[in-house]
Amino acid sequence: MSLNKKMTSMGVVLKGVLAMLPLNLAVLPWGILCGSLAIQRGFSVPEAIMMPLLVFAGAVQLVVIELINDNAPLATILFTAFIISSRHFLYGLALRDKLKDLPFKWRGSLGFLLTDELFALAGTANAYQGKFKLIYALAAGGSFYLCWLLWNIIGIIAGSYLPDLTSIGLDFAIAVTFIALVIPSITNLAMLVTVVVAGFLSVLLKLLDWELGLVISALVAMYCGYLTAKKQSSTNTIKTSEQI
Amino acid sequence: MTILIIILLACITFFSRYLFLHPKLPLRIGAKTTHFLSFSAPAVLTAIWVPIIFVQDNNFNTSLTNPYLLGATVAIITAYKSHSVYLTLGTSLTVFALLQFTLI
Repeated sequence: MSLNKKMTSMGVVLKGVLAMLPLNLAVLPWGILCGSLAIQRGFSVPEAIMMPLLVFAGAVQLVVIELINDNAPLATILFTAFIISSRHFLYGLALRDKLKDLPFKWRGSLGFLLTDELFALAGTANAYQGKFKLIYALAAGGSFYLCWLLWNIIGIIAGSYLPDLTSIGLDFAIAVTFIALVIPSITNLAMLVTVVVAGFLSVLLKLLDWELGLVISALVAMYCGYLTAKKQSSTNTIKTSEQI
Repeated sequence: MTILIIILLACITFFSRYLFLHPKLPLRIGAKTTHFLSFSAPAVLTAIWVPIIFVQDNNFNTSLTNPYLLGATVAIITAYKSHSVYLTLGTSLTVFALLQFTLI
């Protein structure tokens, strides 16, 4: 590679890291909470580090740590993680045409790094095309991975010395992050129905202390949203055919 | 035991992200499944955040002095008006921190 080309890829890496920086910082409270929660719920330090290192999924980490601590059955833990992760199938599907013919080193690494945050940053139509765009996505996703790991480690250290961090409201920062992601996506009745049903059921089942509460609330809410959208589109079709 | 669970969890998260990037797919996904999955993110995320706001120590907390409830209200309004993650985080965390100090 000529010097010039090397300089350009370095620039692209820098660009990717800088573009991801706000999101890297936004998950700081979340990462700290995940790390400290693992320690406080009886994980050893190596186990707590393996969570961000291998699982690398904030929502899964947060929910599953509590389930493991409650001695929930393995099937419940894995099924809950699967349902929480199910939104990622869509991200892969959206990027399939651009990435499926690339060598495994690109597919595997970008697949591993394909979080909500990377998809939000580089899920647009012209992303991942050409080598520089791939390096850009890899740098952005890679910097997010390293930051997530670092925030978790800070949480693991803090959790070994400080009392329960949820008592100072770190969990509120996570709720707010989700509010900021969910509220703007409510653009139609079906999404509104999904959110209302998920919110109502999740509180109810949490109070009843059901271990599968999250899974049931999410699946029922998805189905209600799906039915609403279907019903609306069929009424629209009838209306249009009446006009004709 | 925990190590084994962590490794299985890692397989699940990687599988969900990587599956559709694989050149040869063992299964086909229809328009209906895709449509159903499009409700996954709001459903899952809401089922996580709403109990954080309303349930504290296994009790349903709708008290008007619940800083979680007041902070979340600010967050919802800001998110609805601005569509900005950072503005929403900034305003609601400030309100929440101030309430923590004044209400206790």
